[in-house]
Amino acid sequence: MKMQQGFFERNRSVFIFALIALTMPFWFPLIGGYSGLDTKIMVFCIFVVGFDLLLGYTGYLSFGHAAFFGIAAYTTGLMLKGFSDNIIPAIIVAVIVSTLVSVVIGLLTLKRTGIYFSILTLAFAEMFHSMAMAMLQQWTGGENGLTGMPTPMLFSIKMQGDAVFYFITFVAILMFYVAKRIERSPVGLMMRAIKCNQTRLEYTGINARKYKLLTFVISAAYAALAGALMVVYEPFVGHEFLGWHQSGEIVIMSVIGGVGTLVGPMLGAAFMLYFENVLSVDLGEQWLLVLGMIFMVVVIFMPGGFMEAVSRLQARFTQK
Amino acid sequence: MFDLSTNALFMMLLTGLQMGSIYVLIALGLTLIFGTLGVVNFAHGALYLVAIYLAVSINDAMGFGFALILVPAILFVLGVAMERGLIQYFYNRPHTDQILVTFGLAIVIQEVLKWFFGANNIPFAIPSWGNGIIMMHEWFPFLEGFVVYPKWRLILVVVSIITVAAVFALLHLTTFGLVIRAGMRDPEMLQFLGVNINRRFMIVFGLGSLIAGVAGVFGGPVTQVSPEVGMHLLVPSFLVVVIGGMGSLSGAVLAGVLIGMAQSFTAHDINLSTIIVYLITVIVLLVRPRGLLGAKGVFE
Amino acid sequence: MPILDIHQVSLNFGGLKALQDVNLKIEEGTTHALIGPNGAGKSTLLNVLTGMLEPNDGSVMFDGKPLLDVQPHDINQLGIAKVFQTPAIFPEMSVLENVTIPVFAARDGSFRMNMFEGEGRQRPLVEFAEEQIAELGLKDKMHVRADSLSRGDKRRLEMAICLAHKPRLLLLDEPTAGMARHETEQTIELLQGMKGITKVIVEHDMNVVFSLAEKISVLAQGQIIAEGSPEEIKGHPKVIEAYLGEAQV
Repeated sequence: MKMQQGFFERNRSVFIFALIALTMPFWFPLIGGYSGLDTKIMVFCIFVVGFDLLLGYTGYLSFGHAAFFGIAAYTTGLMLKGFSDNIIPAIIVAVIVSTLVSVVIGLLTLKRTGIYFSILTLAFAEMFHSMAMAMLQQWTGGENGLTGMPTPMLFSIKMQGDAVFYFITFVAILMFYVAKRIERSPVGLMMRAIKCNQTRLEYTGINARKYKLLTFVISAAYAALAGALMVVYEPFVGHEFLGWHQSGEIVIMSVIGGVGTLVGPMLGAAFMLYFENVLSVDLGEQWLLVLGMIFMVVVIFMPGGFMEAVSRLQARFTQK
Repeated sequence: MFDLSTNALFMMLLTGLQMGSIYVLIALGLTLIFGTLGVVNFAHGALYLVAIYLAVSINDAMGFGFALILVPAILFVLGVAMERGLIQYFYNRPHTDQILVTFGLAIVIQEVLKWFFGANNIPFAIPSWGNGIIMMHEWFPFLEGFVVYPKWRLILVVVSIITVAAVFALLHLTTFGLVIRAGMRDPEMLQFLGVNINRRFMIVFGLGSLIAGVAGVFGGPVTQVSPEVGMHLLVPSFLVVVIGGMGSLSGAVLAGVLIGMAQSFTAHDINLSTIIVYLITVIVLLVRPRGLLGAKGVFE
Repeated sequence: MPILDIHQVSLNFGGLKALQDVNLKIEEGTTHALIGPNGAGKSTLLNVLTGMLEPNDGSVMFDGKPLLDVQPHDINQLGIAKVFQTPAIFPEMSVLENVTIPVFAARDGSFRMNMFEGEGRQRPLVEFAEEQIAELGLKDKMHVRADSLSRGDKRRLEMAICLAHKPRLLLLDEPTAGMARHETEQTIELLQGMKGITKVIVEHDMNVVFSLAEKISVLAQGQIIAEGSPEEIKGHPKVIEAYLGEAQV
């Protein structure tokens, strides 16, 4: 905890992020990125920042966050189709619905330790996945997915191209700022204490369970927002939005980038999506294999991910 | 509604037993590894995946007999290699790291297999002696009329029973088994007694993998051979372990059969059968958090 | 009225009777030691008091309020803090952060959704934590990571964490275990300096016990076999019998 700093100094990382993100349409094509991919990266930045609050701070590894992503996505799609092409009510309803589901799932899964939690969250996501493909087919479009949405509108602005990029980027910057605020708050302190020594925390008068649930729900809300915005960006919802693959991708992004840093996972998201969509042209079908191997190397040798590599390098240079 | 005639009931029980068999075999390996080493092996489904791909390849090239012998053996070696080469370095690391590294391994294995064999389903030909149907009504006189069941699925059930029996025999009738069981109850005690932990862990991991190998050889034709099968089976298998009680072998068997039965008895309603596993998990967790036969305090 | 009233508490572990009809009254402001041979049930009793274990029988009253069936975090909020055998701290966090946690717990209770509380509002609490740290002699280690501290410093940090919440009752489970002579002396001094707080100390080191305790209860095989002032306990035949030469007086 540092001494009193001005708004600008305290939120330096947010401003840097904003600068890099808002100028993306200009520099991204220079490294082979295409328009639209930058928007997708912003969506996943939101997803991953919230996820880091759970994994990086409290230390709980969820393999089921795709559930909140997917539920929000389907809800948004259905809202756009059936209620109004205005994205605001769609996003609001989607986030509320998905967050409510997360409260239930959180209550069920957080009772147990980390291992059970990981297994159970995986199971619940797969449950929703099965439901989307079978039981709720008429709503979700089953295997084919949900299509046929009108062009999403932000009031009178069409959510396409540059407009949707800047809108989503603005939301991403805001959500990063929110996450930073949470990190600096007493809640953030308790989150980190949970990871360090939950028993000690209980004996120090803190109801760790409630803080865990709070963090879980917050991270689910982030995932939900990302899911809703995903549909705004690309009006299609596939059943794979709910599967373990999607959850796994988020885990990989977070770990490669560096858990517990908020910034790291965003870098991980950008890296993975860049890898998947740009570098894969050369690697072909095997991009996930290569990424999986990178992931393993990171877990084994550099668990702090990219951010750990950066700080180690920094230490080397300052030692001189 | 429900056809509750003796025939229908019998068939559903049999199907339940058969569906449960694969879960039991995979869950057995999972819980053995978890109970002894304390490691949650997210790569176990990938081991099964390796088994079925190996089995179908060897079967096509050299016949089923070779597959039967070679696959479990290769899986044992693979398991030992995994434990020595990777898992052992994670014993002192937090549980999340163990999950992450085995998850990563699962992805790598799955992608490698997909690269080699392609993403499509490879047909696994049942050997001629295993093909065909059994006239169930000849064996069970209380059945009415003509009742048949695929021979291979019955073989699968029998194999599972034999494997479970073998594992229990190993654990209860040998010194090695005694050490393992003691280690499952109290790992620290073993170290004090001067037992060579490393070797035991290695063998247990190999054993768990071997069981997955057996599952692959006989389950391959039933569950199909494609890259998604591994993870697809892992989730319900994990739930079987959780329902039965983590670290409890009899729990894994009981829960595996239970889940198989549940799926069989709800097969008429596709909506129910897909989510029945999850429903049972939730109920068990709410009513008896440690699992049906789990030890109290183990990760509660 | 005693601040802690333990009445007929029994606890069974499977077939083992860990605690049998334990009766104990602790007066407010006193330092009360709990001694006994290994396996006597001392730590078990402490665990019952902090809410970690539930007895099969009996009742515990803290300041007139029942303590059983209360969650550990609520027990702490009532004013009971525990110092563990192996210092229980938050390893990857700085000393300052370690002590700030109980300060927030004291102000906000066991849970509060103040995700957006800024550093400005937190300042007074952080300053209070800094004072606590200084009082325990760890001022120069304020921003050091807790897991890099020496064992003695970790013990002091743990005390700071407990004291920051202004407890009325402090439970100490073998606070000098594994300490060198000078560290033990420091700990004794530290505890002697804490006036007004009721202390229940489980200890094996008789030097510590006799330096600090105003009253001693002796536990053996889950039962209290003797109770009294240090002088009374010193030559007590039952106590010597229970220890059979284990303790060094």
